[in-house]
Amino acid sequence: MNESHKPHPTPKQYVQIAIILGILTAVEVTLYYTESIFGVFTNPLLIVLAVSKFVIVVGWFMHLRFENKLVNIFFMGGMILALVLFSIVMIERASANLF
Amino acid sequence: MSETIQEKKLLTVFKRPSSSEGIWSWITTVDHKRIGIMYGYAAFFFFLIGGLEALLLRIQLARPENNFLSAAEYSAMFTMHGTTMVFLAIMPISAAFFNYLLPLQIGARDVAFPRLNALSYWIWIFGGLFLYSTFIFGTAGAPEGGYLAEEIGWLGNAPSGGWFGYQPNASIKYSPGTAMDYWAVGLQILGISSLISAFNFITTILNMRAKGMRLMRMPVFTWMIFATAFLLAFSVPIIAIALFFVTFDRQFGTTFFLVEGGGDPVLWQHLFWLFGHPEVYILILPAFGIVSEVLPTFSRKPLFGYAAIVFAGFGIAFIGFGVWAHHMFASSISPVAQAGFGISTMIIAVPTGVKIFNWLGTIWGGKLNLKTPMLFALGFIAMFVIGGLSGVTHSVVPADTQQTDTYYIVAHLHYVLFGGAMFGIFAGLYYWFPKVWGKMYNEKLGQLHFWLMIIGFNLTFGPMHWLGLKGQIRRTWVYAEETNLGFWNMISTIGSFIIALSIIVFMANWAYSRRKGPVAPMDPWDARTIEWTVPSPTPVWNFSTPPEVENLDDFWHKKYGEDSEGRAVRKDTADQLLVDLEEDGLNPKEHIKLPNPSYFPFILALGLPLLGYAVIYKSVALAGVGLVLFLIGGFGWALEPIEEETIENSSTASESVGHE
Amino acid sequence: MSDHRYPHEPTGIETRKLGMWIFLSTEILFFGTLITTYLIFKGRTFDGIKLKEVYDIPFTSVSSFVLLMSSLTMVLAHNAIEKSDQERANIWLLATASLGTVFLAGQIYEFTEFYHKGFTLTVNIYGSTFYVLTGFHGAHVFIGVILLVILWGVGRRQEGLSLDGGMNLEFIALYWHFVDIVWVVLFTVVYLI
Repeated sequence: MNESHKPHPTPKQYVQIAIILGILTAVEVTLYYTESIFGVFTNPLLIVLAVSKFVIVVGWFMHLRFENKLVNIFFMGGMILALVLFSIVMIERASANLF
Repeated sequence: MSETIQEKKLLTVFKRPSSSEGIWSWITTVDHKRIGIMYGYAAFFFFLIGGLEALLLRIQLARPENNFLSAAEYSAMFTMHGTTMVFLAIMPISAAFFNYLLPLQIGARDVAFPRLNALSYWIWIFGGLFLYSTFIFGTAGAPEGGYLAEEIGWLGNAPSGGWFGYQPNASIKYSPGTAMDYWAVGLQILGISSLISAFNFITTILNMRAKGMRLMRMPVFTWMIFATAFLLAFSVPIIAIALFFVTFDRQFGTTFFLVEGGGDPVLWQHLFWLFGHPEVYILILPAFGIVSEVLPTFSRKPLFGYAAIVFAGFGIAFIGFGVWAHHMFASSISPVAQAGFGISTMIIAVPTGVKIFNWLGTIWGGKLNLKTPMLFALGFIAMFVIGGLSGVTHSVVPADTQQTDTYYIVAHLHYVLFGGAMFGIFAGLYYWFPKVWGKMYNEKLGQLHFWLMIIGFNLTFGPMHWLGLKGQIRRTWVYAEETNLGFWNMISTIGSFIIALSIIVFMANWAYSRRKGPVAPMDPWDARTIEWTVPSPTPVWNFSTPPEVENLDDFWHKKYGEDSEGRAVRKDTADQLLVDLEEDGLNPKEHIKLPNPSYFPFILALGLPLLGYAVIYKSVALAGVGLVLFLIGGFGWALEPIEEETIENSSTASESVGHE
Repeated sequence: MSDHRYPHEPTGIETRKLGMWIFLSTEILFFGTLITTYLIFKGRTFDGIKLKEVYDIPFTSVSSFVLLMSSLTMVLAHNAIEKSDQERANIWLLATASLGTVFLAGQIYEFTEFYHKGFTLTVNIYGSTFYVLTGFHGAHVFIGVILLVILWGVGRRQEGLSLDGGMNLEFIALYWHFVDIVWVVLFTVVYLI
């Protein structure tokens, strides 16, 4: 197997990443309870936090950051495709009763 | 020359099967060529059934207000005709080609995951049989105010919601009984098969190419496999969920698509067509690939604009994800949505047009060899262009609101799927016949098949353009006498029987040639791509030595050089090259390891239809058995040894005794 | 694992791992459809009990955290294999499977509570979309736990796992992480927003 293996993070780094993930989760839960403080910004912030956790796990735990470009393209491609297609469906359904 | 296959004696619990003859060897095979052949025969069998269903429909429509089929039977027949042709004929015949040719075209021994490949096949065939078991076990209860029970008959005990199962027509209220469940669960099983194949083929193309087989040196057919697999990978999951929703609505009391429970029937349409539109590109891209192989070979010219054809193929695949709601123009979507999808549908005509012009450019100035594969390839171009043109007229939204649900659409879809996909497939069947079977088919019968088919086809579907614009509605079992549509409907029916005749000619040719046809040489067509560098029929190990590729159309470049004006000049070494390739191809000089056969794909696949019956009949016992098979299959698979079958080289074959 | 292939993986990625990445890309569309359906119906008004009335955010936060940590134990298992430390790998593998099981137990407990409070699969469209969405995720976790146990079993039988050959920890790890990130999205979209 001639995999040009870039070094994975060390166990210590993995634990650090896990701690970050834990903190992000704690922030999310806090945001949920303090909705009155951030008001309309609560939901976008929650989404940002979720996306950050997503990117961290995919990029580092799943090692996508360090993998071949093709795999990145395929996975990211799938994500973008899903986002675009489903946004269109959701918008269409939401606007169906407006026109 | 005979080869001896040595088996490794394995001292483990799950010894892998070792037969190479007889039915057991087919059940346990993981050889991509055998899997391809199994797909091909089974798919062709379903094609014939789908054709019979079509003939029944045409008999009913031959005269106005006919009563050959009842309304219930008619609905079942057009539903099964569509579902069969799409999922049980065209897709698996394409799969047959993909399976057989992909490793050969990229210079590999087999696909990336041979057991998964076998699993795809067994799941597919069991899924198809499951779907058709509706005729034995299924019931289509008469919905309130709908079909009378006595009208349903035997033919009517089948899904009748159309191949697209619109809600709420296909819901439990308006399609009581179990027939629609056979459809939903059956399609679910078939979808799993396609999904597995998709990521198997993508992985194979990315990781199993021979040395020097860069992506931009792959044959166009291989590229089209890639694009098709990409479409499958991203569209099948969507229909899978949609079908789960339907099954849950019908079986478990949810209301995803039922208005009275707060559900949304248009959501079904979105989810179905998000899959359904990429699906039609899945149906046509393989034929595009086949034609892109046949035209250069029989024009004795390289493909015009290789890169453009490759990129156009992917362009079609990408944009193909963005046009789905053109099937919904009449479904109360907003004018903004209609405009958007109308535009995207017009845009997709562009890469398609690019391909057509490139194919024409390939033929232009070539020395055409009008053998049967070429006839079908040329017929493909003509018929597909007609279908494409009518397709473009659909993209004009106001026009489509008149055309939709009429025979004008039926004309379009058959010109692209029959005149397009099937003609391409027939071109491929004749083209690769010598390689697969080692015999030549009969050329005269092939020509007869072609001419009967193209005449019959145009007689059947040509008039439908006019009939549709005159107002003949789809999916309706009778049309009134006063419409004066009887004459052209009769012509259409006659045409359909001519098609049937042409298929009988094809089958006769096939059967005869396999048995008594003349032996085929390794390279009967003076072809361009490396699958032609293995002996005919293909040895089980494919290539004796892994090929090393230096060019696009590598085989051609080994046989032909160019003179000062760029014309092809056959090299002096070409003839000897062919002799050497055949000699080497039949006599491997080194140990060749092949993936071992396995019982477990078959066993695992068997669990799925049982789970399907369990869901429909709410049988815990069946679910239990299905699950057990699933688990045995899964665990057995995971735990069986990877030891591989070895082919000894022929010089030691006769001396080998015992085991290593 | 290159016995029947040429030792020449043009992408430089081990074939099983590549296959798993492609498969996971398809799962994006699978879960995407489920989430989209959930969101479409969430935006509509209707009668009947809603999730907001029955859920318990602290409880679900804890089980989300558990699943997140199982990703950590998963990478630690992978790290151990890279160093050929079979003992450690086994410990972390079983830890991952255990955390996954704890998560599943939490889900089952939660859903039972919801049912008792009247939030069922068929009570309204909200119930339907919730249970189908989280149910599919749960099923994926379940399959993941089974894969991990199989992997552990294979390791015991073969006297240790390696990154080559047969059941390979790396590609199962990818599956496991994916199941985790789906929950990251679900927790936010379903519970918090």
